[in-house]
Amino acid sequence: MERREVSFRIYRYNPQVDRHPFYDNFKVAAERGITVLRVLNHIKENLEPRLTFRAYCQAGICGSCAVRVNGVSKLACTTQVWDELAESGDEPILLEPLNNLEVIRDLLVDIDPLLEKLKSNSSWLTSSIPEQQMGHKEHIVSETEFEVIDSASDCILCASCYSECSMMGVNRRYISPPVLLKAFRMNNDTRETLAGERLKQVTADHGLWDCTHCYRCVEHCCKKIPIMDGIHRLREEAFERRMSGSEGARHAQVFFDDIRDNGRLKEMTLPLRTKGVAGSLAMIPLALKMAIKMRTPPLFTKKIPGIKRVRELYLRLEKLNAERQSS
Amino acid sequence: MDHTFDLVIVGAGGGGLMAALEALRTNPQTSVAVISKVYPTRSHTSAAQGGVNAALANKDKDDTVELHVFDTIKGGDYLADQDAVEYLCSQAPLVVRELENLGAPFSRFPDGTIAQRPFGGTVKDRCCYCADKTGHTLLHTLFEQCLRRGVKFFNEYFLLSLEHDDGECQGVVAINMRSSAIEAFSARTVILATGGHAKMYWNRSSNAAGNTGDGQAAAFRSGISLKDMEFIQFHPTGLRKSGLLVTEAARGEGGYLLNRHGERFMARYAPQKMELGPRDLVARSMETEILEGNGFTSAAGSYLELDLRHLGAGTIKKKLPQIRELSMNFEGIDPIEEPIPVRPTAHYSMGGIDVNMAQTALCGIYAIGECACVSVHGANRLGGNSLLDILVFGKLAGREAALEAPRRASRPVSPHALKNAAAEIKSYISHKRYERYGIMREEMGKAMADNAGIYRTEVKLRQAVEDISTLRDRFRHIRLFDTGTVYNTNLFQILELKNMLDLALCVSMTSLERQESRGAHYRDDFPRRNDNAWHKHSLCTQSSDGDVKLCSTAVTMGKYGLEARSY
Repeated sequence: MERREVSFRIYRYNPQVDRHPFYDNFKVAAERGITVLRVLNHIKENLEPRLTFRAYCQAGICGSCAVRVNGVSKLACTTQVWDELAESGDEPILLEPLNNLEVIRDLLVDIDPLLEKLKSNSSWLTSSIPEQQMGHKEHIVSETEFEVIDSASDCILCASCYSECSMMGVNRRYISPPVLLKAFRMNNDTRETLAGERLKQVTADHGLWDCTHCYRCVEHCCKKIPIMDGIHRLREEAFERRMSGSEGARHAQVFFDDIRDNGRLKEMTLPLRTKGVAGSLAMIPLALKMAIKMRTPPLFTKKIPGIKRVRELYLRLEKLNAERQSS
Repeated sequence: MDHTFDLVIVGAGGGGLMAALEALRTNPQTSVAVISKVYPTRSHTSAAQGGVNAALANKDKDDTVELHVFDTIKGGDYLADQDAVEYLCSQAPLVVRELENLGAPFSRFPDGTIAQRPFGGTVKDRCCYCADKTGHTLLHTLFEQCLRRGVKFFNEYFLLSLEHDDGECQGVVAINMRSSAIEAFSARTVILATGGHAKMYWNRSSNAAGNTGDGQAAAFRSGISLKDMEFIQFHPTGLRKSGLLVTEAARGEGGYLLNRHGERFMARYAPQKMELGPRDLVARSMETEILEGNGFTSAAGSYLELDLRHLGAGTIKKKLPQIRELSMNFEGIDPIEEPIPVRPTAHYSMGGIDVNMAQTALCGIYAIGECACVSVHGANRLGGNSLLDILVFGKLAGREAALEAPRRASRPVSPHALKNAAAEIKSYISHKRYERYGIMREEMGKAMADNAGIYRTEVKLRQAVEDISTLRDRFRHIRLFDTGTVYNTNLFQILELKNMLDLALCVSMTSLERQESRGAHYRDDFPRRNDNAWHKHSLCTQSSDGDVKLCSTAVTMGKYGLEARSY
């Protein structure tokens, strides 16, 4: 069995005794095939009984043990130490708590905010069958209808995407990727009856329209769920349901229109068209700052040379969309 | 901080959550609390892969509840109580459809009905599933519905004791893991739903780290009997290195078991059912192959192969995606390209808290699911019957408790119980103590795996009883090194070890006592079933001096007489 001595640098913080977080170093003889969780258990049982982290199923299905390994959020139980070594070379492997959640102790974070967001966005199915009549007949759901929500129902709420989300990094009130994914999963279930209500909750402030399309949630999902596809589908649904009056929806519409008309964004009038007159006035200080730094966008926007081809693309997409809806 | 509720449910797996929903449906005025040492979606129900049995007859049109009943009784080697099995199977279509109605995303047949597949030890294809993540999706569906209903959760609370006043339920004492505050939950009714105890086999177990039988141990210490503790199911296909589970659905979909000669050896043990014999039989056949030198050898021990390659990439990706992921993560093998290395692993505890349907011997206290022994699984559980068990009996207990609570007086947990719990925890911190958790737990796991495993003998079991008794003595010197009060996980390890040791003693003593082979309990020195002497449930009770007392109780029979069991 191949073995190597591997160094780990682990984030430590016990609010009862530590004024500030610090890093602790451990050396462990690790054989090929060993997981990060096995190392954590080994350290806890043999070197430092106070090391604090969560772990449960050890099989990648319960979602307890997500931590940041060399800066990246992932499940400790399915992460191979040797794979990380290949990345970090001779540097110690860095283990830290998830981002965007309060650290309670060492690698253990408070995940209650995620649960609260699930609650306030109706993250459950509301079936058409009254409760007292349940259990007698099953809904008929086609295989294709099931496949639409199959991958989204893989989510184990490990919060890796919550930790990696760039929007969460600047706004902790943001709805977060797993809650949007859950909304997608419910709204696209043919048995659901309250999709419109949920969409209202999801599109409120700090909601659906705040996502910046950075795709970090998809990149770091331990179940490889295409979360962004779900978010895009929710946005389409918002337009289909004519819920296009919000700032976020208007913002998206402006991008859509500008690119179609000019092939590029008319930044100068973007605030006016997205935020309205009052909202734009509030942005004057920012505009002045931008002017001082010579970052003011151009007053007039020219059409790009290939605008014809852009419009052809739009026509093709609209045709495809119409075909999809009629089928 | 003290709490008072009509109903306190300990454990937030599928059984606990089903009970909470049903209690609120039965009587919306019921004040319900669910306390759990892990967040609900972490519970081990999530790890159930293959499916849940119900005679829906979506696949085999001639399937009936009766056939399901008989498969279950025969599968359990005639030790199951037949009235309970009838209830389990007759309720199965109802609860599965109820979960579907609530939102569980079941896989579907082309006609849009819930898909069903073959599973071990059954004559019809009746296992309903969602790919190989059935437990995960059922658990999340139940949790979502609990959020919808506003169920009050106390997440990350660890059960310390079950309290009663001369047989009348008072509630439970639990510790808030985040603050180490010891809190009383006074309750007119309590449902224990804390899951199984097969983690006592530690490295040879498919279970989550926390499947340590906390509810069983608390019940045992409060004077409730444990039933059929000798019956531990070894699942045939654990991954070689980690013991993690490869679902029976892998064989249900057509996977082969091969020895190192490339032979489908099950042809010699169960010529008709082959790889889909009941789990006890398949696990024993595999162990025999390994003992006779027909296994593959590796640094991680001997193993056999589970070959899925002939199923094709499409089936594997669509129906067994999680198995593929597990094989790649933990064995570095893609089952589309190579066979999976497997060997039997401790998986399920058929035994548990002695209940009549869901009711314990104490008034107002119920137990359900793997922590309980009704008994519906007898000496060996069929695959697909455990998710069914938690749904059916979770629902039953929730309803019973909601009806019972208003009829009962409120009896608060006594302050002494809190003081005793605090004193015990404090005592672990003493500098005079020297035993370490990690070392003792390794020894316990080894003692159980080596001497109370698949093949048992009197000599081995005596050794197991002795080793576990010694460990229980040594536990008096165990030391808690972490003296903090914020998430002191070192403390919970110690409390879990204490629970496992008490239960391991019950398992090894009852195994030694039962001089026959039945279901999952196989004695080399008594290789036959002996109905005259042993067709009965075993019971263990804690006597006042802390010793374990053994006795027995009759099996409830019904339509089906005792028969030889062959597949």
